[in-house]
Amino acid sequence: MNEDRFVRVGIRPEKEEPVLPGRAGRRKEFPFLSAGILSFIFLGCLLFPLFIQTDPAYLDLAHANAAPSRAFPFGTDALGRDLFAMIWHGGRISLWIGFAAAAVSTGIALVWGSASGLAPAWADALLMRLTDILLSIPSLILVLFLQALLGEPSALSLSLVIGLTGWADMAKVIRTEARQIRGSGYVTASRCMGGGFFHILWRHLTPNFISSILFMVVMSIRSAMAAEATLSFMGLGLPLETVSWGGMLALSERAFMTASWWVLWIPGGFLTATLLCVTQLGNYLRGRLNQKQSNL
Amino acid sequence: MSETLVEVRGLSHSFRLAKRLSIRALDAVSFTIRRGETFGLVGESGSGKSTLARCILNLCRPQSGEIFYRGINTCDRVQFRKNRELLQARRQMVFQDADASLNPRMRVESILTEPFVIRRIRPPRGSLRAEAAFWLHTVGMEAAYLDRYPPELSGGQRQRVAIARALAMEPELLVADEPVAALDVSIQAQIVNLFRQLQRQQGFTLLFIAHDLAMVNYLCDRTGVLCRGRLVELASTEELFSNPLHPYTQALLSAVPLPDPRRERARKAVAYEPGIEEDGVLAEAAPEHFVWRREADG
Repeated sequence: MNEDRFVRVGIRPEKEEPVLPGRAGRRKEFPFLSAGILSFIFLGCLLFPLFIQTDPAYLDLAHANAAPSRAFPFGTDALGRDLFAMIWHGGRISLWIGFAAAAVSTGIALVWGSASGLAPAWADALLMRLTDILLSIPSLILVLFLQALLGEPSALSLSLVIGLTGWADMAKVIRTEARQIRGSGYVTASRCMGGGFFHILWRHLTPNFISSILFMVVMSIRSAMAAEATLSFMGLGLPLETVSWGGMLALSERAFMTASWWVLWIPGGFLTATLLCVTQLGNYLRGRLNQKQSNL
Repeated sequence: MSETLVEVRGLSHSFRLAKRLSIRALDAVSFTIRRGETFGLVGESGSGKSTLARCILNLCRPQSGEIFYRGINTCDRVQFRKNRELLQARRQMVFQDADASLNPRMRVESILTEPFVIRRIRPPRGSLRAEAAFWLHTVGMEAAYLDRYPPELSGGQRQRVAIARALAMEPELLVADEPVAALDVSIQAQIVNLFRQLQRQQGFTLLFIAHDLAMVNYLCDRTGVLCRGRLVELASTEELFSNPLHPYTQALLSAVPLPDPRRERARKAVAYEPGIEEDGVLAEAAPEHFVWRREADG
């Protein structure tokens, strides 16, 4: 008979294909380089200001716009301030704002998202629509508005404002996670025993969705630092006498005219390196924590 | 023995599935559970057993009817709030799926001591760890399991941990919602024996929900039969199994396979015609034996 008219069904011999160690298959390795650079910048910001005698705000007009040299390792800006001292002092402010703002927004997102996830349908809809409203307003306008309410910007108020405007995305993710977990028996059992909202939040919800939000937390540090730099660059952030990386970049427009590249490149490089390294770490955490717990 | 612990009066609940479609899960269910007894509740899937358990433990608000626990109307918000501490400590539940009722990211120790942490009670046996070890020992597990996570335990062990957690508050009423349905047969026997032994030791009242009639026959003093949200028969277990009066109960009992092949071949499954239970009342047919009957018959 016509053999080729028939197709064999059922078990077919499976051709063995060699498994190539592809990019996806390989386990993500710890980003040593990023972690190293990041910890160097961290420790530098923590320790260097203790040893450097130069006042970052001192205007040494005699050496304005000096190129990097032995006396000024990173050069000086148009006002004669030592960039080397400014970088480490400014890094403190930038990193502090990054962490404080991330803490504020994570805290709000945790409570708001979990409340929405555990609430009955109508309250959930209400809370999420409020989040949508917040998301629909450009965050820059919101930041300016809140900052105007709080008055003269300082590192504290700026991080509060950035934190207050940056929690909506995370709250949405947390809400989805909480909704998945809330139906499970252990949440019901906990409620049965009289566990309140915050007990369930800390003991049951957070440990179970920490892996999905850790990436977002790290990323919110990054975006808070970027937001501070943006605001300071536009002159809407910290006052001029408070040195931060964004504020240093704000001065670089004048540097273009004097061809002093270091005023632009050095704070820009530090900011970019920090943001890249944080992103890299966040990516690693996401990849590692998303691996499912094996059962036995 | 005859003191009433739980009284359910005319409990009804329905679930809305769509705008016009709703399912009657419970329909005018009334019964009492006496202190110290084991009350069995049987019925096919979807007959409202779990809904009833959830209503009794305030996990679900019934649409009408009342539930009294030691004279406290637990369906009344004001009364519930006033007695919340007592109600939440003295009534505990064991769930069907132990896998889902234990947080996979908590150690056995913190699972067992969760009620103490919630209530901020000082554990009677000194430290939280000693308390957890004690209850783990009560359900027949070694203290070495305290540092394990639930995914590292077997199904039977997980259910034991869940039982230990419920017992740690020394409840008066333990509601076990099909606690053995998800386990395999040999483990089922272990867990049922454990319930029996623990009840003798601790003297709690047990509401045992099952769809396995043999289990109920073995464990329970009195048994109620639920059919489509209605309690169709209620009697002592002995009486119910030897002299079932309601056709649904008869059908249910006739469906139980017999271990003797000769008797098994002779066994006739009685078909149950639906519609019989349509309207009627729960009437006492014999002393302590209640059957759902049409009002005209009574």
